[in-house]
Amino acid sequence: MRKSIFTSLVISVALPLSAFAADSYTIDPPHTFPHFSISHLGFSTMQGRFDKTSGTVTLDRAAKTGSVEISIETASVSTGFAKRDEHLKSPDFFNAAEFPAITYKSTAMHFKGDTPASVDGNLTILGVTKPVTLTIDTFNCGVDPMDPLKKKQKCGAGASAQIKRSDFGVKYALPAVGDDVKLVFEIEAIKN
Amino acid sequence: MQELLNHPAVQAGLAPFLVALVTAGLFRRIGLSGLSLIAGFAATVYLASDFAIEPLTASRKIVLLGLISALLGLLPGLLQSRWLAMLLPVLGGAAAIWTVQRVLQQQAPQAALLWGAGCAAYVAILVWGMDMLSDQEPLRAASAATALGIGTGGAALVGASALLGQFGLALGSAAAAHWLIQMISNHSLPTGRTFTLPLAMIAGLTGCVAVLSAQLPWYALPILAAIPLAAWLVPLPNLSVRIQSLLLLILTFAFAAGVIYVTWRVAGDVPF
Repeated sequence: MRKSIFTSLVISVALPLSAFAADSYTIDPPHTFPHFSISHLGFSTMQGRFDKTSGTVTLDRAAKTGSVEISIETASVSTGFAKRDEHLKSPDFFNAAEFPAITYKSTAMHFKGDTPASVDGNLTILGVTKPVTLTIDTFNCGVDPMDPLKKKQKCGAGASAQIKRSDFGVKYALPAVGDDVKLVFEIEAIKN
Repeated sequence: MQELLNHPAVQAGLAPFLVALVTAGLFRRIGLSGLSLIAGFAATVYLASDFAIEPLTASRKIVLLGLISALLGLLPGLLQSRWLAMLLPVLGGAAAIWTVQRVLQQQAPQAALLWGAGCAAYVAILVWGMDMLSDQEPLRAASAATALGIGTGGAALVGASALLGQFGLALGSAAAAHWLIQMISNHSLPTGRTFTLPLAMIAGLTGCVAVLSAQLPWYALPILAAIPLAAWLVPLPNLSVRIQSLLLLILTFAFAAGVIYVTWRVAGDVPF
């Protein structure tokens, strides 16, 4: 009797532990910047980024599973020119007053070996959600070398995707200002 | 041709003006020349944006409510019922809150209450003010509408939203077509609620959204609200329709220029 109770206890503790085998990470905002680039009237390619990002990542490299949830503060858009930034926040583009966040939620993560290679997910801009696959171009996990106690585990990745802004209802100045937008996510996340 | 249609000046200036001119001419005989305003505005929406309603953003709500208010203006019962006419400003105020609802949700309760009440009051005053001019005063209505459209659009353009700017300028261009017909023919051309109601709704909502989503200063709205009142109150000498139209346009444009100036003082040069 005692043995069976002990066995049940072991199972009841071990099962949830195995369920939580994936490591969870919190995105490190000062080292996480989503960038975008877009053709300006066919003459040049303008670059921009969002300064405020938050989110979480889970990763189980052994089981080859993981997830990403990112929320980008729309009003933090920055292109190095304040007047243009104001215009980008207006209803012509990101409509920051009405849609304060751009979000990305993964639906599946694909691996090459034990390294994440791409993420399928849903990108929501201006309330329009479309599936977008991020290709992971760089990936690294390890101990933060700047941490004197060597306790801070970090993962970093660079991921990119190509989208059409018109798919999300961002149609201002089409076709003069390009429809194709390259997104680049540079992410660092600290292990919880 | 497509390049020409993509030009903002064509989309918000020439196209609504020409469409309004043709519509006013076509519907003149059946007393619905006021439809020229919404026809001109619809031309701009078609060229510069779309008629989609998903997702239902504030700017799409403006288009939707503009079209609905034009249909309301067509209802014969509404044209006669004084009780319903008194209800129009209340409906306009409620429409304003619905339009900016999502923006208000992002704000602190006190700020949301203040902005919501301010927007509702602004749209209600415009609906009431333009309604006073709708039946009896086509000269005053066309001049006030032209100035209100150009003032709202010009200020919204300077305040960093080209789309809202185009909405306002489209109203101004369409109303200018109506005004021009009166000038050339030297006869007043009926406006009615088909003209004044969508004008007040679209201009009012565009002004509200430009304040909340872009850089139009809040004190631009009382100046814009004064345009129909000024057009209504100014005494007109017993002169020809041409001279009266011209005097009214000069008076109301002073307010429109004032709004564009105060917005420029706050927002600076146009960023595009």
